[in-house]
Formats: sequence, structure tokens, C-alpha cells
Amino acid sequence: MADFPILGLLLALPFAGAAGCLLLARKDGARGLALAVAAATLLAALAAVALFDPARGDFQLVEKRLWVPGIGVHYHVGVDGLSLFFLPATALLFAAAMLAGARAPRPAPGLYYGLLLALEGATLGVFCALDTLLFFVFWELTLLPLYFLIGLWGLDAAGRAAAVRYFLIMLAGGVPLLFALLLVGAHGGGFDLPALLAADPAALPYGVQLAALLLFLVGFGVKVPFVPLHTWLPSLALGAPATVTALLVGLKLGAYGLLRLALPLSPLAVRDLHWLLAGLGTVAILYGAVAALAQSNLRGVLAYGGVSHAGLAVLGLASFSVAGAQGAVLLMLTLTLATGGGFLLLGGLQRRLGTCDLAALSGLRQRLPRLAGCFLLFGLAGIGLPGTIGFPAEFLIIVAALPEHAGAALAALFGMVVGAAAFLAPYRAAFFGPLRAGPAAEADDLTQRELAAALVFAALIVGFGLWPAGLLETIRPAAEAWAARLS
Amino acid sequence: MSALPEMLAAWVPLVWLAPALPLAAALFVAVRALRGAAGDAAEPATAAVSRGAALGALLLLFVLGVGAAAAGAPGQVALGEWFAAPDVAVPFSFMLDTPALGVGLLVAFVGWATIGFSVNYLHREPGFHRFFVGMNLFLGGMLLIVLAGNAVLAFVGWELCGFASWLLIGFADERPQATGNALFAFLANRIGDAGFLLAIGLAYWWLGSVEWPELAGGSVSETVKARMLALGLVVAALAKSAQLPFTPWIGRALEGPTPSSAVFYGSLMVHAGVFLLIRIDPLVQQVPDMAAAVALAGAASALYGWLCGRTASDVKTALAFATVTQAGLMVLACGLGWTTLAAWHLALHALWRGYQFLLSPSYLQLAPRPAPPPAWLAGRALLYTAALQRFWLESLARVLLLRPTLSLGRDVRALDERVIERLVGAPGDGDGPVDAGLAGRALARLAEAMQRFETRLVLQGGGGGALHLLRRAGEALKALEALLEQPRYLMLMVMATFVVIL
Repeated sequence: MADFPILGLLLALPFAGAAGCLLLARKDGARGLALAVAAATLLAALAAVALFDPARGDFQLVEKRLWVPGIGVHYHVGVDGLSLFFLPATALLFAAAMLAGARAPRPAPGLYYGLLLALEGATLGVFCALDTLLFFVFWELTLLPLYFLIGLWGLDAAGRAAAVRYFLIMLAGGVPLLFALLLVGAHGGGFDLPALLAADPAALPYGVQLAALLLFLVGFGVKVPFVPLHTWLPSLALGAPATVTALLVGLKLGAYGLLRLALPLSPLAVRDLHWLLAGLGTVAILYGAVAALAQSNLRGVLAYGGVSHAGLAVLGLASFSVAGAQGAVLLMLTLTLATGGGFLLLGGLQRRLGTCDLAALSGLRQRLPRLAGCFLLFGLAGIGLPGTIGFPAEFLIIVAALPEHAGAALAALFGMVVGAAAFLAPYRAAFFGPLRAGPAAEADDLTQRELAAALVFAALIVGFGLWPAGLLETIRPAAEAWAARLS
Repeated sequence: MSALPEMLAAWVPLVWLAPALPLAAALFVAVRALRGAAGDAAEPATAAVSRGAALGALLLLFVLGVGAAAAGAPGQVALGEWFAAPDVAVPFSFMLDTPALGVGLLVAFVGWATIGFSVNYLHREPGFHRFFVGMNLFLGGMLLIVLAGNAVLAFVGWELCGFASWLLIGFADERPQATGNALFAFLANRIGDAGFLLAIGLAYWWLGSVEWPELAGGSVSETVKARMLALGLVVAALAKSAQLPFTPWIGRALEGPTPSSAVFYGSLMVHAGVFLLIRIDPLVQQVPDMAAAVALAGAASALYGWLCGRTASDVKTALAFATVTQAGLMVLACGLGWTTLAAWHLALHALWRGYQFLLSPSYLQLAPRPAPPPAWLAGRALLYTAALQRFWLESLARVLLLRPTLSLGRDVRALDERVIERLVGAPGDGDGPVDAGLAGRALARLAEAMQRFETRLVLQGGGGGALHLLRRAGEALKALEALLEQPRYLMLMVMATFVVIL
């Protein structure tokens, strides 16, 4: 059982399903097929968690085959405690996104589901790639399905234009990323990530580390996103289908890239530039929280909240401590559940009312109590209320950041106050107050199916909020290895 | 006879159930409400579970109290670990000393009595279940604050109380004023929460522990560090107990149903800050200037509450300011180090004020007209106006905190839209996908310059054939460019890049 290529199966399933959906392009079976594949992928991800030995800090479930002999690129996958939980979280979010989305999105449902599955496969690939070039291939591979998903199913012309811009910005970000990986590969002796991580931190010349770090910060920075590279996010949140936005904001690929590659591959340089990393995180925290206050659309509120939270995760990483890394990973998982789930609910709201504009919303709690209740819980997880998974995450990050970057931690505490206002004030505007006549007065609450999906998210948010040790102890050995390399 | 204390001591490890029972009840009622429980038929189950949980907590604490009376208070009880990272361990521990057991018993009793009262009071209210979610959350959170053995568990209770308070102030959520006040109270409290969290972080940094005995027991030797630690906790305490400068929130917090006002702002939650001050008394007394500041804040709040209360024209506001006055006296006592006095004052005041608040709807009949302000106050126009306006504290907060933050938000949004978007290129700007933003425009300029260079070269060369060929090549390039501007060919290029890489 130990040799069973579970990660290979996990990656093969969505891609095979995508091919199947594309072949089915004009038939109605695409949704059923896609849901079945998504469920199977989720099971495979859970199986990977079950097979994982939580006591070890190294890479497990490793598969390695030579792929491109000429330059020594391998198909090399595996997971450690830092990356493990992103697999089931990703699979769950995709399954829920398919379940909660429109039933047969025109013009081509087969294409829609095929692209979603391809995106799922590429995202899972990013989380388990152990060859730096394989990582890059999966990284860039996420762009294509996203481009078409937003371009073809965007809400309006602005949304489709946003797709073009997103694509170009991310493509531009891919160039420094590739340069950095090639630079590290050329000086560090290959693209094998475990070997690169096992090497002495000083093995790579300092200048190379510095150059690689700066390139990484740009390459991953557009995805995190850091201010001022963030404007693609709100415009996508306003224009893209909510399902896609949930995936974009819910899956923290940028912060994962910093955690997995950027910091451990340039340990000496990042130790000197810790202030830059912490500063970028802090600016994002404050900027996102303050900008969220001034949004006039619920989707914009969640998008800027996502900027703020991503900044908090980066601040946790910048402490180079075990607690900071554990907190950052936990926060990224929180966001997958809370922000991802929140956007899925907003997608349901958009379908019912045709808008998420705060000026048009009022008193929704009276008509849609279930949606309001679930959305509130997801938002509370985002502002770190105890009892939700957001609390241990933000708590660990702030406690870890305080000795390293006291000023940044104080700023994060300020962000905690503003962030609460930035969620609860728009929540009040949309869900409280008098119910007005119009589509809102006739809207139906969450269906049983939507409620079931939301309750799964809610159960995970509260369950791991009460018992965070279940996740933290598995993350810990890998986080210790990670922190040891950086200090 | 000696068997009894031993038997009672065996109950000590079950203390976690006291806060857990009401919290579990909150979860149960919340799930029921989400699944659509409504109407008369759904009320008894919610009521029974809430009452049962509160009664269970009360009986458990009663047993523990009897055990403590018979054999002495058990003190610090460690039951394991909640979660941990290296250097950041969060113990699952409880502090069962005399103040904790005494106040805990009081909290459980008032909570149980009020929940019983509310079952009838809220009968057939549309938000019946929502109300009990809030009440149970509050009771669990409050018991957690009182019984917690470390600062993190106390903080958990602290935040849960704040959230429950938000939920119940905004209970009548179709009224914008109620929800606005709820938000105001929550945010004012959240400032205190930030102070609490800061103190916790500093405790981990400097002490490596958040257990009350280490944190409060004066194990920080340097005065500077002790001052910083105490500062965070004192800010939290002042915010929760509505002491100056945080008092304005309590004036706006009385929108909720009367039973919730009774336990939150009359009887229990408003005393949480005083309880925290009793808990950290050794730490505060270690820093004389901090103790003096606490005493001063308490005295000023007492005076402030008393003056504002003179001009109140409705019973709940009058009671709330009377509460601020009494809590101010307790804080004053804490600042002077008289914690036993403060604890007794707390217990007696909590019982009496809770009763008064529950009675307050009946005051409409008991006292048909509010008492006029005393003559000495009515005669001094300026002081009277100041008291009526509550010394403009709220306007001050609005001008100094709220408005700047909001306008900062607008500025940031404008910055995004007018500056950053223009640099990066807003979607829909320009003709093609790349003719927007700084990078796009730079690219366009470069292309123009190259084209000019090319034309000039060709013109100066004057070669007919070359010109012709170049022109044709140029046209082909133009066509290619046009194609490239279309997304699908862009995609193709990316694919080609992949092929090259792989």
C-alpha cells in the first residue's frame, strides 16, 4: 500500500476527467461526470492524508520518474506537512464550486467543467510538485483554464477584459519566476527540490540567492498579491463568475510559492531582507483592510479582505519561526474554507438577485436566513473569532511576529480592528435593515444541496477551530525543518 | 466524613464542562435555526436545552464550590493542551481559586435565572432561536473568562462575549439604528481585544507562558515589561467594563431585548473587566503608575457615569450609567489594591442590578415620569449640556478615529482606481489588450519608435525593391500583430513557449 502512487492517481483523475468532459462537449452528462471525478479526487486526497505519517518532517508519498533527460527534469511529486492539507482543501473547494455553480453554464457546459477539472489538476500539481520546473509547468498551466473560464463565462465585458489583463499580468509574473528557478537550478545543481533543500544554506552564492529572492518576490508577489500588484484581484472578483473567484481567492498559491520555494531556496538573502518581506505583508494587511472598508460591492469586500489575509500569512512566514509557519499554513487553509466558501455563497446570491452591489441589498437576513447565517460564520472565521479555525491561525501569526517584527505585529492588531469593521459593516448593510421590494423579496433561501455544502464548510471551520491541534501537529515536523533552514 | 471532600475533588477535572455545556447548547440551537426551526412547536426544545445547559453548569460549579469550602480551593487545574507550537503552548487549564469559584457560581446562577426569564419574555418573537444562540454563547464565554487558568482561554471567552453582545444588540435587525449600535459596541470592544492579544503575545515573548499564576504573579522583573504587559490587559478591562475613555459604547448597547441587556450591561459582562483587574492585581500593583492610572480611570468613570445618569430620561440608560458608576468604583478599588472589596462589590452589584434591569419594563408603570435632573445640575447650563451630550466623547471618537479611517478607505480606493489601475492598465482602456497601463504604453512607444526607425532607414536607403519587400514584410507583420492581439493566438504562443521549455 505504501508504494501505491496515490499522488499520481490524484493528479491523473482531474486531467482524465477534463478530457472526458471535453469529449462530451455537447452533451448534458458533463456535470455528472465532473462531479463524480471531483468526488473521486477528494477521496484520493483524503487517502493521501490517511497514508501520510504525521510524525515525519520529510517528503512522503514520493514518486519520481525521469521526464526530460536532456536537462534533468523529473516528474517528481510528494508532500510534507506544509503542503499535505492543501490537497483535500483544494479538492473540497473544487467539488463544492461545481456543486454550487450554475447547473449547465452556457455556451458549452462540457468545456466549462473540463476547464474546471483541468484547473483542479494543475492546482493540485502545484501543491505536490517536487521538481522546480515541474512546479513552474503546473503554475503556468493554471493560467489557461482560468483565462477561458473568466473570458467565456465572465459577468460582463469588463469581466472579460479583466481576464485578458489577469492573463497578461500572470504571464509577466511567470518570467521572473522562471528566471529565478533557472538561476537556482544552474548554481544549485539541478531542479530536484528535496536535494536543493537538503543542501547547505550557504552552498548557493549570496548574490545568486539575492537575485533569486527578488525575482521570486515579483513572480509570486503578483499572485499573493502584494500591493501595488493587486488590482487584478478586485476587478476579477467583480467581473468573473463567483465560482472562479472562489477558486482564485480561496487557493493561496502565491503565499504557498513563497513558503515552498522562495524562502527556503534563498535562506541567507531572505534572512537579510526579512524586513522587506514583513513590510510587504504589513502593507497588504493594512491596505486590504482599509480598502475593504470603502467597497460598495460584497465581492469587492471579500476580495480586499483576501489581500489583507494574504498579507497576514506572509507576515507569519517572515517570522521564520515554526509557530509562524504553522499559523501561515493554517491561515491559508482557513481562507480556502472561509473566503472560498464566502464567494460560493455570493455566487448563489448573484444568481438569485442578479447583483452583489451593497446599494441594492438590504434586509436579506429576513428572506435568506440560512445564507446569511453561513456567510456570517465564514466572515467571522476571516476575522479570527475564537471557535473558528481562523483564531488559532491569526493568533499564532501575531504571537510569532511580535518578537521578530514588533511594529508589524502592532499593525496586524490594528488590522484586526479595521478588518472586523470591514466585514461587519457591509454585512450589516446587505443583510440587516428593512427588506425592500424587488428580487430580494421573492428570493429563495439556500437549497438543501447548497446548505449541505455550506454546512460541510461550516463544520470544518468550527471543528478545526475547536481542535486545531489535529492540523497543527501534522504541520509541525515539516515546519520545524523549514524554520531550521531559515535560522 | 473524609470521603466527601475526596468525592468532591473527583469532580474538579470536569470543570471544563461548565463553559462547554452552554457553548454546546449554542451550537445545537444554531444548527436548529439554520435548518429552519420556527414557530411555537420548535420553542420548547431550544428552551429546554438552554435551561438544561445553564443548570448543569450551575450545579457543577455548586458541587465544586462545596468541595472548595470543605477542603480548600483546588487552585490551578491543568487538563492538557489545547494546541501548541514551539514556544507557543496554549494549555487547557482552569483556575479554581476563591474569586473564580465565587464569581463563577454567580454567573451561572444569574445566567440560568435570566434564561428561564427569557423563555417567556421572548415567546413568539421571530428571533427566538437567534436570541438563545446569543445567550448561550454569552454564558459559555463569561464562564470561560471567569474560570480560565490562562490568558488565552480567557481571551476566547472575552471575544465570544463581544460577539454575543453584537448579536443581541442588533437583535431587531430590521432597524438600522440597532445594528449600527451593535457595530459600534463591537468595534469599541475590539480595541480592548487588540490590547488583550498584545499582552498575550508579550507574555509568550517575555515569560514563555500565559498561565495566570506566572503572568499575573509578578514574575516579570523589569518594570518596563510589566508596564507593557499590564497596559494591554488594562485597556482590555477598561473597554469591557465601559470605563473611560470607552464608556460611550454602553449608552448605545441597550437596544437588545431586556433580558440580554440585564446580563450583558447590568449584571455580568460589564463586570468582566473588573474581574480581569482582580485576576492581574499583583501585576498592576507592581507598576505604581499603572495602578494609579487604573484608579484614576475608575474614579473619572464613576463621576462621569453619575453626571450622565442624572440627565438620562429612560430607565435603561439611567441603569446603564448607574452601572458605569458602580463599575468605576470597583475599578478604583482595584487600582488601590482593595481587590476583596472590589470582588464583594461586584457580586452584590451584579445581583441587584440584574434584578433591576429585568424589572425595568415594569418601571413604566412603577414610575410614570422620569425624575427631573437635580436642581444644582439644572442650574448650571454648561455642565447640564455637557452631561446630556455625555461630554461629547462619542463625537470626539467619530472625529478622531472613525472619520479618518473611513476617509483613508476612500483614499485608498481612489488610489487604486486612479493611480495603480492606470499604471498597470485598467481593463477596457486603450484599443488592444496591451495598449494600457505603464508597461503597455511603454511597449507601444517602443513599437512606434522601432517603426519610425524602420521607415526612416528604408526611406533613406531609397531602394525600390527593398522598400517593396519591406513594405510587404511590414504588412505581414501587421497582420501577424493583429492576430497576436487576439487572445487565442496569445494562448498559442504560450503553448509554444511550453513546448520549447519542455
